[in-house]
Amino acid sequence: MGKTIVINPVTRIEGHLAVKTEVVDGKVAAAFVTGEMFRGFENILRGRNPLDAQQITQRICGVCPIEHGIASIQAQEMIYGVRPPDNGRLLRNIIQGANFIASHITHFYLLSALDFVDIAAISSYTGKDSEMVALREWVKSQVESRAVLPAAPFLPRYAGDYLQDNDLNCAAIRHYLDALDMRRLAQQMGALFSGKMPHAPALVPGGLTEHATAHNITAGQALLEKLRVFIDQAYLPDVLAVTKGFPSYFAAGKGCGNFLAYGVFPESADGQSPFLPGGALIGGNLKAMDPNRVTEDTASSRFSSPSGLKPANGETVAAPDKPNAYTWLKAPRYEGQVMEVGPLARLLVGYADGRNPLVKSTVDGLLAAIGKTPADLPSVMGRHAARAVECKLIADRCAVWFDQLVPDRPTFADFQISESGSGVGLTEAARGALGHWLEISGRKVSNYQCVVPTTWNCSPRDDRGTPGAVEQALVGTTVADANNPIEVARVIRSFDPCLACAVH
Amino acid sequence: MKELTRRSFLQLNARLAAIMGLGANAIPALAEAVAKIASGTAPLLWLQGQSCSGCSVSLLNSDPLTPARLITQYISLAFHQTLSTATGEVAVTAVNTLIDKGGYLLAVEGAIPVGMPSACEFGGEPFARQVARAARKAKAVVAVGNCAAYGGIPAAAGNVTGAVSLTEFLQREGITTPLILLPGCPAHPDWIVGTLAHVLKFGLPDLDEERRPKAFFSRLVHDQCPRFADYERERFAVTFGEGGCLFKLGCAGPLTKADCSVRQWNSGTNFCIKAGAPCIGCASRQFVERLDNPIYVKNPTAVKLS
Repeated sequence: MGKTIVINPVTRIEGHLAVKTEVVDGKVAAAFVTGEMFRGFENILRGRNPLDAQQITQRICGVCPIEHGIASIQAQEMIYGVRPPDNGRLLRNIIQGANFIASHITHFYLLSALDFVDIAAISSYTGKDSEMVALREWVKSQVESRAVLPAAPFLPRYAGDYLQDNDLNCAAIRHYLDALDMRRLAQQMGALFSGKMPHAPALVPGGLTEHATAHNITAGQALLEKLRVFIDQAYLPDVLAVTKGFPSYFAAGKGCGNFLAYGVFPESADGQSPFLPGGALIGGNLKAMDPNRVTEDTASSRFSSPSGLKPANGETVAAPDKPNAYTWLKAPRYEGQVMEVGPLARLLVGYADGRNPLVKSTVDGLLAAIGKTPADLPSVMGRHAARAVECKLIADRCAVWFDQLVPDRPTFADFQISESGSGVGLTEAARGALGHWLEISGRKVSNYQCVVPTTWNCSPRDDRGTPGAVEQALVGTTVADANNPIEVARVIRSFDPCLACAVH
Repeated sequence: MKELTRRSFLQLNARLAAIMGLGANAIPALAEAVAKIASGTAPLLWLQGQSCSGCSVSLLNSDPLTPARLITQYISLAFHQTLSTATGEVAVTAVNTLIDKGGYLLAVEGAIPVGMPSACEFGGEPFARQVARAARKAKAVVAVGNCAAYGGIPAAAGNVTGAVSLTEFLQREGITTPLILLPGCPAHPDWIVGTLAHVLKFGLPDLDEERRPKAFFSRLVHDQCPRFADYERERFAVTFGEGGCLFKLGCAGPLTKADCSVRQWNSGTNFCIKAGAPCIGCASRQFVERLDNPIYVKNPTAVKLS
């Protein structure tokens, strides 16, 4: 007889997530992933000025606002028939790149590292680094104090098999502190051109309201340089150390084995030639990506909307008490298949696509560093490693985009809002493929549907009963201690779930 | 070591006092607050309702009082869903232990779906019930961001979850714990940090008629706008990316109280109007509230109302 283990809430992700697992003989036999928060953005967008959509949809998520803004803008640009001038395109790439860098660094250090790194190691720190000494003294004073929750938010935590090497632990803790600064600098780099972060005012269809000047370009380059140093000297080595410390996690959390990417960071004036290409990798075969093959099932979802609709005709009718529904997420499928999205999907699609030699050399370099083959990458550690090397790939590319900017050239091309039309905006957020489907009638939004990265990854069972990507990845996970299911948490967090996005 | 810590406390307090717009004589008092907070006497409980976590992301952008120092030296962050190591039952127990004990500061990000309680749950409990429990036992409650303060996007026209602001929710529940509103989408990190520090040492800051701290919300964005001279000379931008006053593109600066024009965002790097984007009124009650009051004016059919 199995045992049910519930993690509710799953913290250190964005938003409200719960996971129920059935554990048989110490291994997860079945998993159910639940998104616990619904706001109804698609309903709230109806009847509004379509221009407002790029501001409203940014507020779906404070972690990935830029990507929602860009998806919304691209859907509108398709309808209005306008494209940003080169400076506008480059600055949007830089803003989006900055958001990826902030997000990836945040995910590893703030959200994931404490599942592997032993934060308690700070107590035995003997070095002279003033920040570390301050942290050690604080922890000491907290433990000695009568605080209700001493050393919160770092404690309490699950008991578990944390890293044993105290030098590595202390280096990672130091970098945790640095990461807090680095993610802020990445947001600052974006804000130079987006107006502010999060929730960027300067994004508009046709380009950007902000300009590239000699001053903000050089300021952005200076911030980027600090980030690149951190990525090279802290983020990549720390991820490598964690992969070496937890080799069994290259076999854990394998997942569905299908990968979807829409392509991101246009390199040509027509908005095409994405730096990271799109594609659907199904059963190891790469196919050209076609957004018309996306559908959303609702059998397990708290919506009474018909199942299997394409997003262009999608509906969102809340049904909180629907029988057998266990989540606020719909179940997106591509050609009926469960798909994993995210940095790993982007790299595997790019690797199979082969057109960007930088993706190929990045993946080959990673495989050499960790001594693994591509088959090992769909795993907990593979996802962390893919995210880290993608962060470097994007940060390095931002430097190229900065070089391509010509100060004071136009960033915006004017347009008129169309009387009617339909468009789709496809891009990538840090956590995976993001699509917005927009229909305009009478110069108002008549339908708006978002299919978001975590909607794919944390998808529930579809109409045929096939579990979603994380649900599949959890099956087979060994749980050593039912009261401290840290292994389950590690598998979930490797996907970098963002639940505000997923449900919206 | 002790001396160094004290000195660094004082330095940080000087910066904090500057952020809060306080004089130098407030610095020693703040140092006491720091000592008091560090000993765990007034922890901060941060709860998320129907939110996007944008205000949490914004808080992490705090500078120069950066997050590591904020958490370890200024605010005893007892629980935060995105940052706490505690997960699952460990997290639920941590939050409930804190609520049982009482006497903490409560920060709430997000709206509350009173019409559809299962539209937001934490540990199997409807958020509405959790936040009511938490607010009753708190010393003070800070509604962080437009959603908590005024309802924001979840409570805008088209609201299907019966979302309401924390303000309205506390009224309905008859909860009289002192409340401070920090609207903004997101709230500025200085507004959050400055307000929490003020409450911890001096009690409630001076609030306006909408319960916003006067230190941050006493003037219109328009009044301190870098394009104010353009407005005076009637030089108006008619499309995006142009110089001039942005009023004709729908700028809500003349209707929105906040100090963005002088404080700016992301370590003083930029802000909406400086970046050529109209103020969208994200700190105002009217933000996205109605269908017939669009954010932008970009063609003749989309007429901006008041």
